[in-house]
This record gives sequence, structure tokens and C-alpha cells, in this order.
Amino acid sequence: MRNVAVIGVGYTPVFVSKRRDVNIVEMISESVDAAFQNTGLTPDDIDAVTFGNMQTFEGLNLPHLWASDHMRAIDKPIIRISTGGTTGMSVLQAAYYYVASGMYDVVMAVSWEKQSEGDSQVGLSGIVLPEAMTMVAHGMDLFTGKGIGFGGGGSTGAASYQAMSYLHHSGAEPEHIDKMAALERSNAALNPYAHLRKKTTVEDIQATPMVAFPLRFGHTCPTSDGATTCIVASQEMVDKLTDGNVAWITGVGSATSDPCTANFLEGQITDPAEQKPAKIASEKAYRMAGIENPGRELDMSEMYNGFAHQSLMWLEKLGVCREGEAHKMLDRGALDIGGEMPTNASGGVFSTNAIGTSAMNRPAECALQIMRKIEGEHQIPKKIKKALAHGWGGMFQYVTVMVLADEPG
Amino acid sequence: MEFKMGPETRQVQGTWDASTYKFRMDGTGVRLLTEGMKDKKIKGIRCSECGMVYVPGPTYCRKCFVDIDEVVELKDTGTVMSYTVEMADVRGNPRDEFLISAMIKLDGADSWFVSSVKGVDWQEFKVGMRVKAVWVDEPAGSLTDIDHFEVIPE
Repeated sequence: MRNVAVIGVGYTPVFVSKRRDVNIVEMISESVDAAFQNTGLTPDDIDAVTFGNMQTFEGLNLPHLWASDHMRAIDKPIIRISTGGTTGMSVLQAAYYYVASGMYDVVMAVSWEKQSEGDSQVGLSGIVLPEAMTMVAHGMDLFTGKGIGFGGGGSTGAASYQAMSYLHHSGAEPEHIDKMAALERSNAALNPYAHLRKKTTVEDIQATPMVAFPLRFGHTCPTSDGATTCIVASQEMVDKLTDGNVAWITGVGSATSDPCTANFLEGQITDPAEQKPAKIASEKAYRMAGIENPGRELDMSEMYNGFAHQSLMWLEKLGVCREGEAHKMLDRGALDIGGEMPTNASGGVFSTNAIGTSAMNRPAECALQIMRKIEGEHQIPKKIKKALAHGWGGMFQYVTVMVLADEPG
Repeated sequence: MEFKMGPETRQVQGTWDASTYKFRMDGTGVRLLTEGMKDKKIKGIRCSECGMVYVPGPTYCRKCFVDIDEVVELKDTGTVMSYTVEMADVRGNPRDEFLISAMIKLDGADSWFVSSVKGVDWQEFKVGMRVKAVWVDEPAGSLTDIDHFEVIPE
């Protein structure tokens, strides 16, 4: 297995609610162009392309083939990967496998989502259509809350059971969710590539309506349009094509559990806050990266948090701290940009969510932090030697993890 | 580096008709449940190898991957494993009445399902509370034969 580094990142100029000025493939080409500009590479340097987004959000099949010109991928191998919210990191992990295996030397990983061209609730329901239609056929009432099997509230509703179970087991209070939300939105205000960029206080968050207790409207991620491209290369190519200031991928892991968002027909057998895949995936990644004490050895983390309680939950599930410790770290400022475990300095998914990119933006931000190439004011002051990137998705069941470092493994 | 969005590009209306799809789904477990509910009984399926009880459930064990068909009858009481209180719709428009939705593990079952809980102040409601089904007067073999659950007073 060869050493592989992220040598460059390209974002669309902004991540916003509606890019009215470009279509899907034009938007993708912006991030591809940015990646070429930021690395000085040309299309001839790229051996293969991996690609991903979430299918039902745009109602478009085979977008990777439509985008082949726009990604300068003519005559090259293209593969599309779709793993729900973890898509972006699965796409980057695939690029990593291509290079680590020796099959290819320089691979471009492209992720995107243009949610303004569809309806996110329709997109999400595309995951559970057969189950939902069967339940309706057996009398499930979709609207009044009568009967069994009904779990309302859309994606916020589904996450709220997880949030409640997390609070119950960790001892954290709903106010901690408000605090984490305010911290991440304030971080996002420093990040020109974030979507929601207003400096936010705890009071601002608490002024938003409670949607599904304990989750408020202010605890919920936006839907964004945007694309992200990462270029990865073998050690030999790093020497040939770069000045050596790169971010090495030292640990990779992923795992799946059974679907646990109130799936009715086959029975829900797992607590949505258990998230065992986080333990499995992170243990794999830490072992590969030679990390024995993640809480001490990691310098930062970028967590996939569609909802503000999740940053706290993932710190525990990924072994960065013990169960029940995350909200205490928050209280003592350890999760701030200047703290001992800066978490989501970018603002996280909670502030920017073009879903296909969301799990790629986590390792992209880690790479930029390591290379000290953050374009914005959220560059973490201390030197980043080891960074943790996390992705999550599906029916609350997929987790992907990457560890990046300033030196090869 | 201020980004200026360019002129708006053309937008065309699309269509995607979900009704063109006909999904094959095994309704055995949910049919077992709803048919039993006609008699105010809750029936699940048990795995004879590991003992997992699913309500409703598939016809194979999700831990052992063997076919299962042992029908068991469960009580209509259970424990709250998690819950949420619906106070607004997903776009933030407040509801007239708050609705507690709980993930409930019936006594004797290993799987959980979701149902509303009524007759209790949401601020008093907690994980771990014991609940009991409230049936409609004339069940018809449908998921709404249990109207909601209520908290069992201690």
C-alpha cells in the first residue's frame, strides 16, 4: 500500500441556497477548475476520476456522464459512488484506494449537490418510498399522528429521537445543543465557503422555534448548492508535482449498521444514538494511522453534523472523549478554534450542506488546515499535525472516517 | 474575493412520477400484526435460534439470517426508549397542539416502533417511562387500531 496525499482542494466560489447563474455541470466545472488552479496541475496530469452526489435530490440519473466534458474527464475512467450523506468521503476514499493500490498515480475526486433544483424532502423520501407506501397501504396515517408506525417531522423528526437518546445517555442538556450551534455558526462566519455565515449567539439559537424537541429550527443544517474537488497523489507524484506542502491520508475506515430511523416493516432493532459504525470505522482508521489515544494525539476534528447535537455525540462515538465528556469539553472551551480540540472550525455540515460534498468537505478542510491554506479567518492557530475527518449518512447507519497528517504514515 | 452571482440562467420544469414504480415488499410481518390487532392482540415473530422478537418484522432473523415463522403474542405495555415532541412542522410553522412521539419497546419484544403518547405533559415525559396501548372501540385490522399510548401511572 503506497502513501497517498491530498495535494489540493477546489471549492465552488460559494455555497449558497440557489446558484441561479449556473446549471449542474457548469457548477461542477467551477470546482474542478479551482482544483487545477490551486495545484497548478492540468487535465493531462489526472489519471482517473471518482464522482458522487445523492441521486434523488436532483432527479437526475447518470450526472457523471453528463459532467464528463466539464470535469475534463474524456478518455479517462470515471466511477460514481453514492452512499447517502457519506458520499463525499466515500468518493475521496475511492480515490485513495486507486492510488494506494498502485493502479493510478493522480486521481481527482469530485462531489457536488444542487439541491435548489429539487425538493430536499422529496429527495429524502426517495430513500424510504417502498416502506412508506407499504405502511400507508396498511393504514398508517401520515398526517394526524394516530396509530402506530407514524414518525413525523421529516429529517428533523428522525434526528430528534437520536438527540433525545443522546441527551439521556450522556447527561448533556438541551442548552448544550444551543451552545454547540452558536459556536459552529460563529465559526462559519469566518469561512467564506460556508453557507450560513451570520455570527450567532446562544440567544439567537434559542429564539428559533422548537421543531421536534429537543431540536430547534436553529439546530438544523441548511440545504446548499455547491461542489468540491480534491486531488490525491502518490508519494512519487507529490515529489514530482508539488512543493511538498501536502496533507497525507494516514487512516481510512468505514462501516455500516442496520437502518435505525424508525423503520417499521423490518423492525427497528438499534438505538439511533448507538452509532456502532462510528466505533468500528474510527478504530480501523486510528489503527492504520498509528493513533492509540485519539483525544490526546489529534489536533482537530471535522464532524458530519446535520444537527447541532451530533458534534457532541460524534466526539464520544469516535473515541475522542469518553461518553458524557463532550458537553464538558464544550463548556470549558476545548472545542473552540483556540481550544485543545477545535471541532468544526469550518462551521461543519450544520452551516453548509450541499449533501454530496458534505462528507468530502470534512477531509478537505482538514487538509487545508494542515497545509495552512485556509482561505478565511478560521485557520486554527496551532500547528495541525493530525486531523480527524468524519462522515455520516444513510438511514442513520453509514459512517466513514479519515485521518490526515502532515507526514506520511 | 467577493463573489458576484452572474445573470440568471434558464430554468425548465421537470417531472418525476413516483407512481410509475411498483415495489415488491414482503408485508407478512405487518399483516400478521394488523390482523391480530382486529382482536386487540399484538403479534410478532420470534427467531428460534437467538430468541429475537420482532414486532412487526421480517420473515428472516436480522441477526442469524435464518427464516423465522414462530408467532408470539405480546402484551400491549412497553417502555419508552426515546421520544421527541413535535412542536412545529419541518419548516418551522408551530403546531396547535404538541404531539409526543415515542420509540416504544413492547414487553417481550426486541424491536422498537414509533407511536404517539397522549395524556401526559411533555415536560414531565421521560425516557424509561412505562406506557400502555389505547385501542379504538372497533378495531378494523389496521395500524390505527391502536390510537395512541398512554403513560402507566406508577
